[in-house]
Amino acid sequence: MLQYVTLTIDGSRVRAAKGTSVLDAAIEYGICIPHLCHVPSLSDIGACRLCIVEHVRNGSSNVTTSCTLRVQEGMVIRTNTEKIVKLRRNIAELLVAEAPNSRAVQDIAVRCGVKEVRYPFRNNNCIQCGRCVRYCNQYWRANVLGFIGRGKDRHVDYPLGTRPDFCKNCGACTLYCPMSVTPCEGPMKRGEEHLCGKCESQLSMSASLPGACVRCDLGKGFQCARHA
Amino acid sequence: MSTTSLNVVLKGRRSQPHQLIEVLQDIQDLYGYIPADAMKTVAQELGVPLIEVYRVACFYKAFSLKPRGEHVITVCTGTACHVRGSTLLLDQIQGQLRIQPGHTTDDGLFTLECVNCVGACALGPIIAHNGMYEHHMTPGKLRKIIGDVYVTKKEESHHG
Repeated sequence: MLQYVTLTIDGSRVRAAKGTSVLDAAIEYGICIPHLCHVPSLSDIGACRLCIVEHVRNGSSNVTTSCTLRVQEGMVIRTNTEKIVKLRRNIAELLVAEAPNSRAVQDIAVRCGVKEVRYPFRNNNCIQCGRCVRYCNQYWRANVLGFIGRGKDRHVDYPLGTRPDFCKNCGACTLYCPMSVTPCEGPMKRGEEHLCGKCESQLSMSASLPGACVRCDLGKGFQCARHA
Repeated sequence: MSTTSLNVVLKGRRSQPHQLIEVLQDIQDLYGYIPADAMKTVAQELGVPLIEVYRVACFYKAFSLKPRGEHVITVCTGTACHVRGSTLLLDQIQGQLRIQPGHTTDDGLFTLECVNCVGACALGPIIAHNGMYEHHMTPGKLRKIIGDVYVTKKEESHHG
């Protein structure tokens, strides 16, 4: 039998099955926490850091990713405090700097309130969200992709650097990659990268109602599971 | 590559994924690097996905995927060694052997590597020659070490 716990997210009492993540519980109740690396049915690794929330405990709070935070009885979570919004904006800014050629990343940045990118564009075409790696290894159990190297040399690669014959050619790695949706105006050339921000007008609701889901079409398939 | 020696390494460790690092270490000792074929065999025998073996082999600095030279010269470029002139040592080696850090000379004699600290800062600048630490190194001493290797190599080939 499923056991349930009750927690508080943004002041509203939420009932969630034991063992689920705070992010899943929030999505189920329509509380919008931006997220990118989370894929339903795959394990969460907290790679994109967009889903950070404040976990209030004993009068102090610590910031942690909600996708890797399991629900507990009596938990108090705040998803939209000033601190979180600021941190999240900074994280989104870093993601855009890393991979400006992704509509998903650009849209999420706008959604998180990024107005300008203060970091040099690296245009690595990968934000290491690990969606491809996890889909390949956990869903198909093909074990064709993995994170190779460490530190700034960490990247997604095939074993031994070449595509092995046991790759099933399922294409899920491409399908699940946020880079597979290019910006509306086509890929940006090196040196011309910028924050797109053209869809900012769709966000007028969110600015006046902080915390409310704007039912955004932005980054379709990479945001709320309800719109995927 | 002989399968018998790989068999010795794998003996008693088959189907034990947690032995992965130990097995890779033994292979590193055996060949001086980790050949691609050995990685495939290890993946099969230990029951670990090949990507996992490759990931581990790439992650640790102790493992090399390329054949390494007979003499591995590791230059410490940590802070203490840096201020004591480890850059001069690097310049010396790079000029004398014409290789970049992480690379091996064409004759397979030398491999040059950099590490961030070997933990013997008081003895800096320090280099490790095949694991043996040489303290208070100077470009002159280093030139002699490299020269000596070439001399002994020449003598060996004369006698042999």
